[in-house]
Order: sequence, then structure tokens, then C-alpha cells
Amino acid sequence: MNTNIFDEIYKEPGHFLIDEAVSKQKIPIGYTCSYVPEVMLKVGNLFPVRLRAPGVSDTEIADIYLSSVICSYTRSILEFAMDDQYDFLGGIIFTASCDHLRRLYDNLIYLMTDNFYHILDIGNIISKDSKLWLIDELKIFANKISDNFQIEINDDVLAEAISSHNKMLGILQSIGDLRKNPKPPLSGTDFHKLIIAAFCSPQEEIMPHILNFKENLQNSNSKKDYKARIMLVGGQIDDPDYIDLIESTGALVVADRFCTGSLPGLELISEEKKPYDAICENIFNKTMCPRMINDFYKRLNNILAIVEEYKVDGVIVENIKFCDIWGIDTSQLLLELRKRDIPVLRLEREYRLTGEGQLSTRVQAFLESITKN
Amino acid sequence: MNWSPKSLDLGVKLSQENMCVYNKWYYALPNLKIWDSSLLIQKNFAPIHWLRPLVSGDFVMDIFKTGLKDNIEYLTGLSSSWTKIISKLIKHGPINSYKNLKKYPWLITFIKIHKLLHNFTKGRYGLYRQANTKVISVVVSQLLELLDGIRFHEDRLILHEDLVPSEIFRAMGLYPWMVEMMGILMPMVDSHSMEKYIDIAENEGIPPDICSLPKGVIGMAIEGSFPNALAVITSNSPCDGGMSSYTIIERKMKIPVYRLDVPYNFYNKRAVNYFANELKKMINWLEENTPGKMDWDLLKEICEQRNKMKEYELELWEMIRTRPAPLAGEPVYLSHLWAYNVYPGTKENTELFKTLSEIAKKNYEIKKGAIPNEKYRAVLWNPPLLHFIDFFSWAEQKYGVSLIIDSMSYNNQPFIDTSSPETMLNDLASNIMQGPMARHTRGPAKNYLDDIFHIYKHFDLDMVWVAGHIGCKNTAALNGILREKCREAGIPLLVINYDLSDPRVETHDGIKKQVDQFMENIMKVKINEPLR
Repeated sequence: MNTNIFDEIYKEPGHFLIDEAVSKQKIPIGYTCSYVPEVMLKVGNLFPVRLRAPGVSDTEIADIYLSSVICSYTRSILEFAMDDQYDFLGGIIFTASCDHLRRLYDNLIYLMTDNFYHILDIGNIISKDSKLWLIDELKIFANKISDNFQIEINDDVLAEAISSHNKMLGILQSIGDLRKNPKPPLSGTDFHKLIIAAFCSPQEEIMPHILNFKENLQNSNSKKDYKARIMLVGGQIDDPDYIDLIESTGALVVADRFCTGSLPGLELISEEKKPYDAICENIFNKTMCPRMINDFYKRLNNILAIVEEYKVDGVIVENIKFCDIWGIDTSQLLLELRKRDIPVLRLEREYRLTGEGQLSTRVQAFLESITKN
Repeated sequence: MNWSPKSLDLGVKLSQENMCVYNKWYYALPNLKIWDSSLLIQKNFAPIHWLRPLVSGDFVMDIFKTGLKDNIEYLTGLSSSWTKIISKLIKHGPINSYKNLKKYPWLITFIKIHKLLHNFTKGRYGLYRQANTKVISVVVSQLLELLDGIRFHEDRLILHEDLVPSEIFRAMGLYPWMVEMMGILMPMVDSHSMEKYIDIAENEGIPPDICSLPKGVIGMAIEGSFPNALAVITSNSPCDGGMSSYTIIERKMKIPVYRLDVPYNFYNKRAVNYFANELKKMINWLEENTPGKMDWDLLKEICEQRNKMKEYELELWEMIRTRPAPLAGEPVYLSHLWAYNVYPGTKENTELFKTLSEIAKKNYEIKKGAIPNEKYRAVLWNPPLLHFIDFFSWAEQKYGVSLIIDSMSYNNQPFIDTSSPETMLNDLASNIMQGPMARHTRGPAKNYLDDIFHIYKHFDLDMVWVAGHIGCKNTAALNGILREKCREAGIPLLVINYDLSDPRVETHDGIKKQVDQFMENIMKVKINEPLR
């Protein structure tokens, strides 16, 4: 499947589509976490760009500030920021998701004071009160955007943004659903390139390419061969080369249950409810992060449901080294999946792709164990 | 080595052959029979670790170094601790005691609690020793009370995370047991006590870079070392590792877990209302799921006792601002850690702070320091070095460094307004959100940095020592900014790289070397200069 356009996009933090949008006076706003309501950055002339650090080679400068025992995603972002690779952004939005992202925010506002920053406070449990709290936070956020960028944000503006955002999500979902087929027409790598492109580009500029991709898929007879259908579970994966390496062993990643994946990341926002209520609900539903401390069984059941739905043969659970919440959660997920005789492999990784040989060997061995049984 | 202990004025010639290193202290050892025989006793009784402080050269040397009054102080404290421990064993009965020790092997560590007395009093004399003895006495006494809760009140026992206000449980007629207390207190008593539990957690698949405090707690949960309880109350504080560990505790213990949600932006009324409401919901949940019933009058009593304790503590803090500090070290920080986090609002703790304030006053009035030669004053940022709890005793003696205050004890919390249930809950909520550690680890960097610089100025300090626990990602990620800001302000900063509960990561010797390097290179102290 031809993903050339997406290849150009995922290899750079700022790419030609962003340049195109900027030339039309649009403002890209970076964000670091799935808990950020990117739909609220699709108002006025703003558009959201999921922050990545593609091709980061080391984090020498970032390590001085963030230390080397912090998640390498946050260090990579800081490294890129200090290397002026995010100069094209009009601001960066954070959530107080985890210790590492909070400290990234702290270091960024200390080191690079000239930007627009905001950090959303999202609770660690889902309750009626935490939802009300979040709605207030979203309104505060909206006011801040409004003041800083002179954009009027009201229910109608948000409703329009939701409707437009849902259109994109719907198309992506329909493409993702094709992977439930016994012989999917696209690989996990291709799908991931598509998702990354969608969330790192202005919607208006990327949509024609997404639609074109979908059309080509429908017209194509391509069917993927594989040794085993794999679900990938974890946190921040924004490098399709990682998935490509897994698939080079003969696996096919059919389900992407990670922060930057489609499950449940592409859940539509309700257009029946009031916009803030709908966005709030969507924030809690579209991400399955272990930062939600009372949701372990919900996450587990979600994984089990996907295993069924996508006819998954094995699960790879990965986490970025030094991530406390995923590190602890994966140890328990492993136990539960093994109890249910679901083949599972645990991989600890750095943000950037390293140790390809080792990774490939481990996945190969895992596939052999699945196919043997 | 030219240095010799002050009291060993025996005219004995010191030779290299008589130099001996024991327990990481350097002593010049005269050729005394009593030392030789104590070494023999120690060698023969080595497996009986709890006897070690009594038969060690350390203890023997200390007897020679201290005056009669100080020895009496120590022995009184020791016998008091042991009397309390033995009385409890008798009260529980030999068979039940044996069963408890079998069910909770970590109790053996707590039986050695008198070692804390040894660690906190060695090298400390006069009123300073007295203050330390007092703190240990209260800790022992109250720990035994809490242990009674495990033994006799299982039907009302609540396990809770360290930043959940236990005042509320006690006001509901429930018996609280802080889950992290074992992970905090045990390595203070026995440096290596948490290693086993850390290893259990890592073998279960917990990554080794997770903070060793939650790792130890996870290990204890896996091993089934927690007492049987009705429920677990936890929160999203103080950090990711801490809050995530309760997923495992919940799964292993299979008892209901209630979680509190502390906001990140906690400076405003909205946050206070939110978290006070969380506490209210917790109370309702406890009333529905346990025999506990809230007695607001009792909560008022506890909070007022807490306020009285706070008044004495503020007096103490005012006095330690002067040079030399009339009290320092454990009487300042450990008393707070215990009295505010583990067992707040008891008359005994109010009395403790009253006594500490009075002791400090005696020194303060005659301008006498806790340590005889206070050369430097420091704040310890981050939790104290749990497995090296006599670290500051060492620093006092080697460099004349007084630990004036630490991040865990200093807070600028309001008193609890006891006019109504609402005001009490609001202020308890504020206290948690704005107090250590939540303020520093969950909150924005501003809290962390502003507080350090405020304390540096307020307490007239000479340096900042950061206990750079390798598992604490939160604070490690601020060291870069802190270094720059300290450099700008001309404040000497030491970041000690170590692990909170695991001495295998960095040994006591390694920690001392880091301090030596700092004192030599930054503070320009000549290492072999005799201090006194």
C-alpha cells in the first residue's frame, strides 16, 4: 500500500503540510498526551499537532535537566525543543498525566519562556466529581485559548469542531476495521503511518490524502500474509519503524491498543450531548492509560475484548523504560493474560528505536512459540 | 590518623595496628582488653543481629566517650523501649506472640527498634541526646499501640497510604495502619530489611527503576505480609510509583480499595472544595463498608490536639533559626514525620513537641547548639536516607553540619479550623494538598523550588543537600533547574545519589564519599582536620 505521503510526514516533527497550513495563517499547537482534547485545538485557525521527536539520536542536553532516569519520550521532546525543532508551534498543551510529563512541562516553561503553554488537570479516577472538575478545566482551557489567540469559543464553535473531528475519526475507524478481516489489506505499519499523519497534520490538508488512501485500499487486492495476528499494547509509540520491525518477523499487528493507536483512540465524540460534557466523556473513554488508578480491570477487559474481536493470536505489551505506571501495570497485565492462556510478550524499550537485533529475535521467538502451539 | 576520641585521654599510644573500622565509623582503638573482648563477643554472636549494638565496639566506645548522665539517658531510653516491647509480648502471650512473629516476619525488625536509639544517640550528648531519646520513646510506644490494632482490632483495621489523613479513621473508631510505614521504619532499624521485599517485587516483574518504597510495599503485599484489614484507602499521591503500587496491593489482598483524587492545581478554593468533597465521600464509603462511624467531636479533639502540637513545633522552628541551632536532626524531622503522618493529634505527641520545645529553649537561652561545634547548617531535601539513618549523626561529627530541617517536615500549613465539620475537612484537605510530599512531587516545580529557597533564607542555612533517590523521577527531573538556580544564588548544593530503601545501590561508604567530595571541593574543608 502506497504510504509515501505519510512517510514524509512521520519522519519530521514539522512537515510540508504544516508549512502549507502555516502559510494560510493557521497556527499549529503541539500536545503531548492522549488526554489532551485535540478537538479543542481545532477551533478558529488553530490545529493540533501531536508532539513527536522522530529521528532523535540522543538526549544529552535534556538529560542535564530531566535526568537520565526519566521516560525517554519526554527527554526527546525536551531535546528537540531545545534544538528549536518546535519553533513552528504556536504553543504546547500538556496534561498533568504523569510525573514525567509534568516535569517536562516544568522544564519547558523554565527553559523556553516565550511560548504559549497550558497544563490541564485531569483526575486519576473517573467519577461524577472528576468529570465536573474536568469540565471546569476545559472551560478554563477554552478561555485561555480564546484570550491568547483571539478566538471566540462557544458551544456552537465546539460543536462544529466535534463534527469535523468525528468525520476524520470515522474514516480512520473504517480503515482500522479492515484489520479485523482474516487477511487484512494493510499492515500495522501502514495503518500506524496513517494514524500518525492524521494526528500530526492539519485536518483540512491531510484529509484528501486519507481519503485517497482509503480509496486505494478498497480498490486494492492486496492481502497480508502473516504467521500470527498480534495486538500491541502500551504507551507512546509514534514510530512506525518499531511496528515495521515487529512485522518483519512475520507478525501482523492487527490491533493497536496504545496511546497513539486507534483502540480506543478513535472513539467518536458524542454530538448529542453538550460539547463540554461530550468532550469530557470522550477524554476518559478514548484512552486506556494506567494513570487511571481504579481502572485496571477495565483496561484488562478491553484488551480481552479486542483479542476476541480482532482474532488476536498473541499480545505484545510494551512500555518505555522508566515509566512507573506502565511498568507496574504491565507486570499485572502479563499475569492476567497468561492466566487466560493468551500468549504474551513483554518488551521494555526506549522511545527511539534501538536494539533492533534483540527486538527482532525476541519477537521471532515469541511467534515461534505461538505458531508451535 | 591523628584524630582520637575526646574521652580516650588514657595516654595510650596509637598505632596503625590498632586502627579498626567498625560499622563504617573510623575509630582509633587503644589496646584495651574490653575492646578485644567486645570484638570476641560480637564475632561469636554475629547472627544475633539485634544484640549487635549492645555488644559492639561502637557501643563500648560510646560508653567511654560519653559522660555518666548521657549514659544514664541512653540506658534509661533503652530499658524503657525494651520494657514496653517485653510488656507487649507478655500482654499478647507467648503463643500469640510466636504466631504473630510467624505471620508477620517483619515484626522481628521492629523488635530491634531500640537500634534507632543507638543510631540517634551515638555521638550526641546532653540535651540533644535527651531530645533524641524522647523521640524514640514516643515512636516505640506508639508503634506498639498501632501494632495492637493489628492484633486486637482486625475487625476495624484500615490500611492506608501515607498521605491519607489518618485523623479521620481514628475519629471513626477505626484503627489505621500506614502501608508505607513498614517500608519507612524498617530500613531505619535495619538497613537491609527491605532488600528481600524489593527482590520479591522485582521477581514479580516490577521494573527495578521503580522507587524502592512502593517496590518494598509491593513485595510485602506479594508475600502476604500485610495484616488482615477491612479496606485500603489510598490516593494518587505522592507519585506515579506510589499510586500504581496499590493496583497490586488490591489484587493481592482482595479487599475493597477506595481511592482519593488529589488535584494538581491545588492553590485555589475550587481545589480545596473538590478534595474536601473527596474526603467526605471517603467517610460515607467507610460508613457503608466498615463498622466505622464518624464522630465529629472526636475529630475536633484530634485536630485541636494537632493544632496544639503545631504551636509547639512553630516555637521550635523559630528557635532553630538561630545559630547555633538549639536542636537539630531527628528531634526536628523524625518527630514531625511520625507525629503528623503516622499518628497525628495525640496528647502524647503534643507532649513530645512541648518537651522538644522546652529542651530547645534550654539551649537557646544559653546560646548553646545541639552539636558542640556547629559549622554548617543544611536542609535535607527529599525523604531522609532511610537505610542510613545515622547519616546526619556522622555528618555532625565529621563536619559540624547541623541538619536544621528537611522537606518532609517543613510545611506552611494552616492550623485546622475546628469550628465545623466542613472547616475541618477543608483544612485537612489543604494540609494534604499543600503539604509535603504532595506539594513537591505532584505539584508544579514552583512549589519545590520556591520552598527550598525560602527555607534556605528563613532558617539561615549554608547549604542544600538533596537526597537524590534514584527511584524518584519527580525530583530527579528538577535537579537540573535546581543546580542552575543554586549556582545563580551562590548556594552550595549537594545532590546525593543513592537509593531510598536499598543500600545495595549505593553503600553508606559511597554516600559518605559523595559528602566528602562536596565538603572538600565545594566547601573547601580539609578532610583530615580534626573537628573537636
